[in-house]
Amino acid sequence: MSTSGPAPAGAPQVKSLNCPGCGATLTVRSFGNAVTVICESCHSVLDAQDPALRILQQFHASTDEDPPLIPLGSRGSIRGVLYEAIGFQRRTIQVEGISYSWHEYVLFNPTKGFRYLTEYDGHWNDVSILRALPELSAGGATLKYLGETYRHFQTVDAATAFVLGEFPWQIRVGEIARVSDFISPPRVISSEGSGEEVTWSIGEYIAGRDIWKTFKLQGEAPAPIGVYENQPSPMSSNVKKVWALTGVFLIALLAVAVGAYWMESDEQVFEQTFEFNTGAGGEGSFVTDVFQLKGRTSDVELTTNASVDNDWIYLNYALIDQDTGHAYDFGREVSYYHGYDSDGSWSEGGTTNTVTIPSVPPGNYYLRIEPESDPNRGLVRYAVTVKRDVPQASFFGLAALALLLPAGLMTWRSLNFEHLRWAESDYGSAPSDGSLLSTVESITDTFKGSEDGE
Amino acid sequence: MIRSFFLAYGLFVLALVGFAEYRGWSMNRIDEVRDVPKSVRDNPGSYRSVYSSYHHYTGGK
Repeated sequence: MSTSGPAPAGAPQVKSLNCPGCGATLTVRSFGNAVTVICESCHSVLDAQDPALRILQQFHASTDEDPPLIPLGSRGSIRGVLYEAIGFQRRTIQVEGISYSWHEYVLFNPTKGFRYLTEYDGHWNDVSILRALPELSAGGATLKYLGETYRHFQTVDAATAFVLGEFPWQIRVGEIARVSDFISPPRVISSEGSGEEVTWSIGEYIAGRDIWKTFKLQGEAPAPIGVYENQPSPMSSNVKKVWALTGVFLIALLAVAVGAYWMESDEQVFEQTFEFNTGAGGEGSFVTDVFQLKGRTSDVELTTNASVDNDWIYLNYALIDQDTGHAYDFGREVSYYHGYDSDGSWSEGGTTNTVTIPSVPPGNYYLRIEPESDPNRGLVRYAVTVKRDVPQASFFGLAALALLLPAGLMTWRSLNFEHLRWAESDYGSAPSDGSLLSTVESITDTFKGSEDGE
Repeated sequence: MIRSFFLAYGLFVLALVGFAEYRGWSMNRIDEVRDVPKSVRDNPGSYRSVYSSYHHYTGGK
């Protein structure tokens, strides 16, 4: 037994021992605190509390099969405290015949004690033991800790599949513990126990790149795969802010609409009723009297109301500025058909058609009208009304949709994120917590469920 | 970041709809014809509408 020399202040002390199984040198970094030490050479699990290092278990495995991403002996700061990685274990669960594994690292600081890091598919958690018991609800669906509610996510039986280094408890390969996770992203509270003894711990999601940086690891942290149980949603906090802003903008849009309806003149500048004899033949086009469009450049709304009944009339219009010769040319059809058949009564079209001519400068205008219809129709009466500076409700509708779009997209992304998170739980979907997102999610899941059932 | 982006986006939408209303924009398709002769007023048949060859719907169910 020999010491490895003076350690820096706050850094763990390192001692070397020899494995009683194979004689290989063991490095014990938390001497006096470790309960179990594993020989890397022969995979003997040794009793670190016994001066003779009694062999508790031997297992067959290759360290190269699943090497720790943080090499034992690496040092890094977690929350401002220097820790050294001293232990590593792989734990495995079976779900529907499929094995899932995650890794746990034991960190040690001589004054602060033990801390843990867990890693699954690139998702990391900084874990410490709870000093106070959380308050579990009657059904076990939630628990409260320091005023925060955690929702049960899953309960599994986890088996220890591989161990390396030192542990502050008597660890064995193959031992099984029941693990229950309760989440309140980015935190997770876990209970772990076999028999009477239950240990509670709290974990907080931490980015892999931060682990890589503080432990000065080579390369880059593996990219996280999928959504982890307590991974904070990148959307959820923004969704509320964006919906709040959307509300403000919709109120502002309403104010703009009220202002537009109040300020725009909506002045009727022309109205006349005409008759068109479809059987008369000859030139059907004519021009109206001149009417004045006042004010700034703005829109002109032309409405045609025709006495069509199972018939149509088409009108070639030209709104012509008599001074400049600038014309706006357009055609409008008014058609109305209705009847009754085996499906019941039906109708299509209507007797009124409205068109809005954009950005018409002020001036003296007249209409050139050229009506067309079924030559056998006979007499068709139609009225033409022209209004100046008319508010366009469709713009406000489109603007409202445009304002709702980002919030809707973010809500959808957030729901999708939560859906992916809870798909891995014991429930398959998120239990309702009364929030808007939760309510929308449950409605979505119900809808999906009914679709699947069809 | 997202809040700032959405703030700018929302203000842009409001400004756009306000400007569209002020200038009298429309979503209808209207053709513009320049230099229509004054003689059209006396002889409306001399003007050829862009839509004079339109094929009319004569349907119903």
